[in-house]
Amino acid sequence: MNGRLVQRSLYAAGGAALFLALASAFLLAIGHSPFVTLATMAGYAFGDTYSISESLVKATPILLCALAVILPARLGLITVGGEGQLYLGALLGTAVVVNYPGAQMFALLPAMLVLGAAGGAIWSALAGVLRARFDVNETISTLLLNYIAVLLVNYAVYGAWKDPASLGWPATIQFPPAATVPSLMGTRVHCGFIVALIAAVVLHVAVTHTRWGLGLRVLSGNRKVGTMVGLRFARNTLIVMALGGALAGFAGICETSAIQGRLQSGLSVGYGLTGFLVAWLSGQNFLRAVPIAILIGGLISAGDALQLYSKIPSASATILQGMLFIAALAASGLSTRRETRRG
Amino acid sequence: MDDLTIIGHWTAATLRSSTPLLMVTLGETLTQRVGIINLGVEGQMLAGACAGFAVAAVTGDALVGFAAGAAAGVLLSAVHAILCLACGANQIASGIAVWTLGLGLTSYFGRQFIGGKVTGLAPLGGPSVAGVPLLGPILAQLTPTAPAALVLVVAVGLWLYRTSTGLKWRIVGESFETARAIGLAPLLVQLQGILIGGLLSGFAGAILSVDYTQTWANDMTKGRGFVAVGLVIVARWNPFFVLPVVLIFGLSEAATLRLQAGGLALSPYLIACLPYVVCLLCVIMASMREGRIGGMPAELASVFGRRSR
Repeated sequence: MNGRLVQRSLYAAGGAALFLALASAFLLAIGHSPFVTLATMAGYAFGDTYSISESLVKATPILLCALAVILPARLGLITVGGEGQLYLGALLGTAVVVNYPGAQMFALLPAMLVLGAAGGAIWSALAGVLRARFDVNETISTLLLNYIAVLLVNYAVYGAWKDPASLGWPATIQFPPAATVPSLMGTRVHCGFIVALIAAVVLHVAVTHTRWGLGLRVLSGNRKVGTMVGLRFARNTLIVMALGGALAGFAGICETSAIQGRLQSGLSVGYGLTGFLVAWLSGQNFLRAVPIAILIGGLISAGDALQLYSKIPSASATILQGMLFIAALAASGLSTRRETRRG
Repeated sequence: MDDLTIIGHWTAATLRSSTPLLMVTLGETLTQRVGIINLGVEGQMLAGACAGFAVAAVTGDALVGFAAGAAAGVLLSAVHAILCLACGANQIASGIAVWTLGLGLTSYFGRQFIGGKVTGLAPLGGPSVAGVPLLGPILAQLTPTAPAALVLVVAVGLWLYRTSTGLKWRIVGESFETARAIGLAPLLVQLQGILIGGLLSGFAGAILSVDYTQTWANDMTKGRGFVAVGLVIVARWNPFFVLPVVLIFGLSEAATLRLQAGGLALSPYLIACLPYVVCLLCVIMASMREGRIGGMPAELASVFGRRSR
């Protein structure tokens, strides 16, 4: 047992080394000193309270989207639909605000958040129904639904919901204060972050310490045994997909309301995809996803700062994410392979 | 316009938008036939489109651009091969990682080419044929890539079903262990399957940017790689079926463009959903009949996590 832990740590260290090597090679190739750039990035990510708060702002949708990947993964489903669920959540939540901009906060804010979560849940459950009912591969359906969701948001913000006062910029009206998710202690970090943390803990307890969680484990390990003891795959597929989608949809409406203040095209900068990465880095573990989401949020926020101050395009943050993903998959793949060989 | 001319225009538009997708779907079919699924084709297509466009813009030669695009596709697919074959990583996750890398690299290195223009291949027929009914508009709009893709469908199909190497590939896809037992080198075959998929996806991307749109934009493949992965299922992993399936999709894409240009009173963003909806519907119909018509290489079943497990 102890030897296994040591071996896993060795592979994790190897993965980290591989990532640093890949990242350094890329930074050298574009003519920047790897050490200076990575140190600058660390400073931009977590150097002072402002940097930390900006990293948490980015970490919030990423963590929620990661949870939306991890929960279905507990049933053996691989979904890449966080981006689409986030967009649909933003769309449905905004529908409330656009139609009742003058409503009181106690009614408007909850209605907006609930509909936002419902939007993500519907989009995700659609892939769940297709999987449970027609055996449609959920990875492919969620990927295709992503593109449709982005187009639907574009349809709304370029069409009926476009604010005439925005001078051609495709965006809805500014959200009224009654529809703004409250922020924490005067920073841009909003209550969605707290919800994400609570969700991570609750889901962790639910899958590790309840009868339902045991059922998911049985079904994902051996569907036949699960069915024999009376567990239903179709029903659980719908539950995990809808719950996961609700979290991603919640992320979408929070991002729209608290960070951008209105629904506009290009709402997310790949948070869904980054959430997928975080879910895999965490080994599909809700609690481990929290620090990893914060780290990756820092990476993205540092990427933005680099673009602003050092003129390094923020696309470099996407490249670094890809490299991190590759290094992590190589390390975990090799580690698992070695364990299975030993038996 | 008489009916024949209209049919000619629609045929040409369908074939034009189908050509890149035919290439990438054929490549992914071959990859999946050896038991590997590669969602990274989306990133490889982007890499092919970006590298192909850049090289074509610099050299002024579309053919050199195609070669560069294909090479970029092979390079990126090698990452998938290393992760899946050498490290034993999860194939779906590895594909998404390759996509992320391709997306990042192309939006980084493609910045300077955004909005640029290149000259694609010359059309099959010059202005003189434009008046010929039916064939006129087809020959005037199509470039040699379209017939090349059609020939490739037949060539790949014959190769897979009628040659001994094709048989070897199919054996590897059905049972890795059997292939090893009878002395084939299944790992090597899988490597070839991934790289040929990379070659065709990169080539497809280059056709898209150099020959079809003749411009480069960020994330310009817009999910065509993922659509290809879905269409492979619809075509039941059979290269011959790839042609009709891709043509249905190409028709929906041509309809999208024509409806938008035709001034239909529907938002262009709603019309643009059509190809994805068509693809999804095709995948649903194919999956509903999964148990009855089969065709999935057995080695893939474990990756897909189908009922058979």
